[in-house]
Amino acid sequence: MKLTTKELTTCALLTALALALSYLENLFPLAAAIPLPGVKLGLANVVTLFALYALGPGQALLILTGRCLLGAVFAGNMNALIFSLLGGLSAMGAMIPLSRRRRLSVYGVSIGGAAAHSCGQVAAAVLTLGSRAPVGYLPVLLGVSLLTGTVTGLLAACLFRALGHTSLR
Amino acid sequence: MPMRRSPELRPTVWDGLVVLAVVLLAGGCLLAMSRAAGRASGGLTAVVTVDGREVDRFAPEELLEAPRIYENNGYTLEVRAGEAVSTPGGQPAGGARGIRVAHADCPTQDCVRTGTITRGGQSAVCLPARIIIRLEGGGTGGGPDIVIG
Repeated sequence: MKLTTKELTTCALLTALALALSYLENLFPLAAAIPLPGVKLGLANVVTLFALYALGPGQALLILTGRCLLGAVFAGNMNALIFSLLGGLSAMGAMIPLSRRRRLSVYGVSIGGAAAHSCGQVAAAVLTLGSRAPVGYLPVLLGVSLLTGTVTGLLAACLFRALGHTSLR
Repeated sequence: MPMRRSPELRPTVWDGLVVLAVVLLAGGCLLAMSRAAGRASGGLTAVVTVDGREVDRFAPEELLEAPRIYENNGYTLEVRAGEAVSTPGGQPAGGARGIRVAHADCPTQDCVRTGTITRGGQSAVCLPARIIIRLEGGGTGGGPDIVIG
């Protein structure tokens, strides 16, 4: 993939923004409101959604991979890398084809991405633990992904509306 | 920065199909796990797996005598008998108090937050320690409930 300096800078900025949102989210864990272990809102997915529509799948994938790698390095937890990578790549794998369906709104794309992210994370847990037991938690995560996907979809829609009033769109 | 594609910003009927697909997937998983749990019979047994290998198997009642400690990957889990659980009618659920991870020094603490598990098919999982504590048997078929920690 060949990027111009402007595209590369935009990708770097969005990667930094996604990392900051992930960090911010850890300060206000969703588990405090929804007492289910392992549940996260996925604020960084707003950046992925934005990049998918604004920059295209290639650059969105670049931002996602950068965020996952740097997030694991900064957190000093390389064990978490397989979870964020498999979750993120699964979400991207679902959102790319969904975003091409013109009849689907940003909400549908976001919910599909959140559900795929849950599937990817459960797959990572199965691989890490060498047991199929984590699959039993998938229905719970999928249920929560309906809520988290809607919230991130709403935030992305607000972002796109706000950009519509600027010269950035 | 010009947008490559302008997304639809209002929810559409087609979004409902995505929601339906997610609900169907969740329902399918629940059904499959319920059937798997329903096949188990006999008394309730706790099975502890570390790094994919079964290391312990015991009746939950044995925890009333003393808690059990498991260590792996630099983390320690203390498993104790669960809190008393009763049905709305006041009867003990499945005649068992269940088990719980009372203490863990893992960073996520999700296994501790799981609380008491009481039915066959339920699990408490500590991902950092790579330890799974699963209940088998009981023949309740009451549906799986696993928590990753």
